Amino acid sequence: MTTKAEFLARLRHGMPQGQGSLAAEVADRPAHPAEAVEVIRRQLSERWPETLARFQTEFERVAGVFHRVPTAAEVPDVVGRLARERQARRLIAWHPEALGADWSAALTAEGLTVELMPRGEIDDEPTRPALRRRIAEADLGLTGADLAVAETGSLVLIAGRGRPRSTSLLPPCHVAVFGRSALVESLAQVSAFFEAWHSDAAPEWKGGVINVITGPSRTADIELTLIRGVHGPQELHAIFVEADAPTATGRHG
Amino acid sequence: MTPPLRAALMITCLGDVFYPEVGVSIVRLLRRLGVAVDFPAGQTCCGLPLFNSGYHREAAAVARRTAALFRDADHVVVPSGSCAWMVKHEYPGLLPDEPARTQVRALASRTYELSQFLVHVLGRTEFTGATRSRVTYHDSCHLLRGLHEAQTPRMILQRLAGVELVELPGSDECCGFGGSFSVRLPEVSTAILDKKLANIEATGADCVVACDAGCLMQIGGGLSRRGSRVRAVHLAELLDTGERAS
Amino acid sequence: MSDGALATPFRARAEAALRDPFLQEALTIATTKFITLRREAFAEFPEGEALRDRARAIKEATLQHLDQYLEQLITSIEARGGHVHYATTAAEARTIIVDLARRAGARTVVKSKSMATEEIDLNEALIHAGITPVETDLGEYIIQLAGERPSHIIAPAIHKTKGQVAELFTRELGRAVPADPEELTRVARAELREKFLQAEMGITGANFAVADTGTIVLVTNEGNGRMVTSLPRVHVAVMGVEKVVPSMSDLVVFLAILAKSATGQKLSAYTTLVQGPRPAGELEGPEEFHLVLLDNGRIDQIGGPLRESLACLRCGACLNVCPVYRQIGGHAYGYTYPGPIGILLTAMQHGPESVKDLAHASSLCGACAEACPVRIDIPRMLIELRRQVDERRIAPREERLIFRGLAATLTRPAWYRLGAPFARLLQRPFVRGRMIRRLPLFLGRWTHTRDLPAVASRTFTERWPELSREATPR
Repeated sequence: MTTKAEFLARLRHGMPQGQGSLAAEVADRPAHPAEAVEVIRRQLSERWPETLARFQTEFERVAGVFHRVPTAAEVPDVVGRLARERQARRLIAWHPEALGADWSAALTAEGLTVELMPRGEIDDEPTRPALRRRIAEADLGLTGADLAVAETGSLVLIAGRGRPRSTSLLPPCHVAVFGRSALVESLAQVSAFFEAWHSDAAPEWKGGVINVITGPSRTADIELTLIRGVHGPQELHAIFVEADAPTATGRHG
Repeated sequence: MTPPLRAALMITCLGDVFYPEVGVSIVRLLRRLGVAVDFPAGQTCCGLPLFNSGYHREAAAVARRTAALFRDADHVVVPSGSCAWMVKHEYPGLLPDEPARTQVRALASRTYELSQFLVHVLGRTEFTGATRSRVTYHDSCHLLRGLHEAQTPRMILQRLAGVELVELPGSDECCGFGGSFSVRLPEVSTAILDKKLANIEATGADCVVACDAGCLMQIGGGLSRRGSRVRAVHLAELLDTGERAS
Repeated sequence: MSDGALATPFRARAEAALRDPFLQEALTIATTKFITLRREAFAEFPEGEALRDRARAIKEATLQHLDQYLEQLITSIEARGGHVHYATTAAEARTIIVDLARRAGARTVVKSKSMATEEIDLNEALIHAGITPVETDLGEYIIQLAGERPSHIIAPAIHKTKGQVAELFTRELGRAVPADPEELTRVARAELREKFLQAEMGITGANFAVADTGTIVLVTNEGNGRMVTSLPRVHVAVMGVEKVVPSMSDLVVFLAILAKSATGQKLSAYTTLVQGPRPAGELEGPEEFHLVLLDNGRIDQIGGPLRESLACLRCGACLNVCPVYRQIGGHAYGYTYPGPIGILLTAMQHGPESVKDLAHASSLCGACAEACPVRIDIPRMLIELRRQVDERRIAPREERLIFRGLAATLTRPAWYRLGAPFARLLQRPFVRGRMIRRLPLFLGRWTHTRDLPAVASRTFTERWPELSREATPR
């Protein structure tokens, strides 16, 4: 079997000296990513209504369903309505620390069976597979969103403690709640966040995967006919909370 | 009195043997426009067929010979976009030794496909033609993507009195010639051609114009085989009023 | 590709594809749609052209320091607790992965779509080792059931009609399924959901790997990529060495153009940045993460004539615009990667002999180079492959004689001058009016479907003397 040393030696041997005349240049990187992110946030804080409007347009273009509520207290009303429309009962949600709010009581009052995701890992054997079963059978998944990207109508979700991957993946309906601090305009700005999240000063919630979600799951593999909801959710909803309250999503980045 | 602009005609192998009347039309056209036309003797081919099939040593020998024939030309006018492309883009790489390299680089900068010469060197876009027809235009691949030229033939056709230009759907799609490709994979070449012919006939045009002998052979050959009333013509033929310069 | 297919000459395979009406219709619909979607996406994206240049420049810069970036990637991955393996050949890659599957005690592995795993014929090796690979990408799932290989780089089952898919599902799953894409997808979703939850190991490719952070990036639409990298205990990613990018800032340049080139989407539904195994405290994620770095001919080309093809993003745009691919589809090419870039990749992996016919499966129209998001000059390299085929005497002797004869004539004006009169003599029996309708032997390949203009009664060169006298000197 090839060792690392052999592999790299072969590579170096194959690389010619004096490379070609074609333009060669890597992308510019922010010298201080955390500061760059702060600058972006400051610039955007004034413009958030336009950014939000653009986000809504693009989000709907990729078949996302957009909702808007004045405060976090109204979120359960929207979720409850969605559940009733779909005759859905079982909801899983990120841990309240990750969501920045605990809507369990209100959601239960809406007639839903609510299961909050645990804050950490689960070691023992019957508990974990049983939880996975329940996640797989849930009708709705409720999460936050770390970024809402206007250019593409995308939601960026970092996995981590209390915010597992499956909440936005297994249930057929995914609902993401976010506030103005998550709004960014462009992919170029997203790259500054990606740089910041991986720099040395990264916060402890940094997780094992970052998902950039642009619309519900889809395929066109059969005759190029567009079908939604292949393996991931068939529906994607975003609830924008107008009130400028500090949320868990605001803390990130 | 200013001496007339001089241009040397590179007739191309296909032009010489199959479409000499295109060369004749070009000579007469250029003379009417006040251009003195030379025809360096001993021309054979630009070498593209050899180059495309990978016979680069042989292509270089042909290129060297052809470049030498045009060494003293102020301008070289070529009726086929593919041959013009060959001279401009591949000759320098095929002849890397000096002094040939410097010479062919200079030659490359003075070589033009016909419509490019008319529009960019002579500054002419308005012509009278000898026909009243509905025409459609096929973009030959080397002119379109090699020489990045989609405009000059259209500019001329749009302003050509008596001619109504209709856009060809899929005009930028290959006709299927590809040189030896047309006989190496004749079934695929024909399938590609059939798609082009269907598009051409759907325009209702009387003729399809192209600026490349290879395309004209392929498209013309297909139209003729199916007994179509549509003719495949070179741009120069539409610009030929039949007059001689005086 | 299966050896059975390669036993038939390429021309015959192409002909068979032309005669298949289902395939022809599927190809026309699919490629036309893809072209339109890509054009529309870039039409409303003015920064696109500049980004394509930037993307190409990043690929070039990365290649120039590939060893450093790979070392950095390895270090980053290992710092997060991942493992890196080194596969010089396809056989080695198979051994590594089967070994990992055995050690994981995997009976089933779920796979997200990966052309790299197709390239190394992984599924056969897994099956041989008693492990069941389950393709979860809908298109891959379909062709796995059909026992076929992908016919397009991003849409593997594009050659199948919905009727054919329904027939397939009905036969393989033992119950009647209607020919409705919605229904068929629902069936696949249900069948595969269980597999995701039960499989011990997930295998993916990687669209990119970020050297600075050790992140593997998957660009998908269905959600199976996320499932495969989150639910099983072990995740194995297989990746060609050329896929590494230096930083997150570089990554985003590619993300901005990849989905647009492939399907016209601004971004695919899921862009997944995998950071390695599950960090402590997280509920989900694999316990083990393995990256298998694949050479399989790539390293030889870093300093080789096919170097540019290492920039390929596997978007499939070149397939969709290729007049040849649009007529014959992917299977006729006979190897893992079809279409224009496929010919180059095949040569990279199997040597120039493997493409002695495929290198000529092109009219050199240049549509591929125009569509390529990173501006790979595919026609130039096809000509280079043809040159290698000639130089190594792989081309048939008769062909080489013809071309050398042609070259000799074109450099000897005396011979050339005799050519036209000689041709006029030979063609006499065949000329009708100004056209020739039938020619014998090799030239019959043209006249079988097309007329040929007759050699002119006087060539231009022969007419020049009188033409030059027409110009009246002032």
